[in-house]
Amino acid sequence: MKLILDDRDERILKHDPAPVEQILREAGINPLDVIVSRNGNLIPEDTVVGADDVIRVIRIAHGG
Amino acid sequence: MDPNNPGLPVCFRCTAPAVIFQRDSGHHLCGAHLVEDIESRVADLIKTRGMIAPGDRVAVALSGGKDSTALLLLLVSLLPTLHDVKLIAITIDEGIAGYRDATITAAEHLACDLGIEHHCISFPELFGNSLDVFLKGRETQACSICGILRRKALAVGARQVSATKLATGHNLDDEAQSVLMNVFRGDLPRLIRNSGTDSSGKFIPRIKPLSLIPEKEIAVYLMLKNAWKELPECPYTRYALRREVRSVLSNFEYKHPGTMLHLMESREKIEQPCTRPIIASLHSCRECGDPSSSDLCQVCSLLRSLGR
Repeated sequence: MKLILDDRDERILKHDPAPVEQILREAGINPLDVIVSRNGNLIPEDTVVGADDVIRVIRIAHGG
Repeated sequence: MDPNNPGLPVCFRCTAPAVIFQRDSGHHLCGAHLVEDIESRVADLIKTRGMIAPGDRVAVALSGGKDSTALLLLLVSLLPTLHDVKLIAITIDEGIAGYRDATITAAEHLACDLGIEHHCISFPELFGNSLDVFLKGRETQACSICGILRRKALAVGARQVSATKLATGHNLDDEAQSVLMNVFRGDLPRLIRNSGTDSSGKFIPRIKPLSLIPEKEIAVYLMLKNAWKELPECPYTRYALRREVRSVLSNFEYKHPGTMLHLMESREKIEQPCTRPIIASLHSCRECGDPSSSDLCQVCSLLRSLGR
């Protein structure tokens, strides 16, 4: 699957189907601090994503 | 799970694909039901706390960032249920290079799109200098200095438009962080200060209609409303104690869902018996006349130390 992080950093992950939450934690990200979309659609962090999915992680900006 | 979207949980109300998992309740919600849920919780809070009364002129602090954008959208959506209430948006331009211009533009566009009267006040016109100038060599105090001056600027703006209430977009995360920070500082008066409904006529009551909505839900709400904008982060947040507290509290909330709400409940329990004596003890600042707990208010004291 392709993981696109907030700073436009793109990573290809060789992962068996897994919950988004697990992928975020492995990337050092607290799921409460981000919004996640799969193939353009918002998804909760307990969604199980697969090998063909494109996952975009958007950090919730603070301040202001 | 949704058979058309493998691995995707469904809404507990209608079985449409979920967009969020509310960890404390254990519920999944689809976009339509999340919007309905947030609007309903905000309406309930406004009603139960008596935040807005018929005939109120509500000044909405609109920075153009996510929380104030959500606040204005929600208040506009609730307007038909609020009798004879007028909303006026107020934006404070602190003068933060590379940051504030983008959010001010967003605020102007939003107010214009929603048909809301909009006013902008700048630190230079009110205090003589921009925040960037005030903070030269004092960057580590950025949030305290900005917070004091911004509160004053909003109060001035609210008075200028004859507002009867001042609404800010503080969300649950902000409020829970503030509880924890005040405990860490041992600042009991600030911990229990309630400037919402009982101002005893000394200042325009400040209301926080989003104070029970988690920050993440606000962000998702904006996405669903096509109002999400990727805006820069304030350059001074890296100096803030709040940043550390946010990280600690967010990790705690993740491991122990409901922590933030419990902090708010704790504050409420000690707030009620303590608030009235503090408001009654307020007197007037000898320089500007604003309500103050000491002879000289925080703003006048700060401006003196900044060389004005």
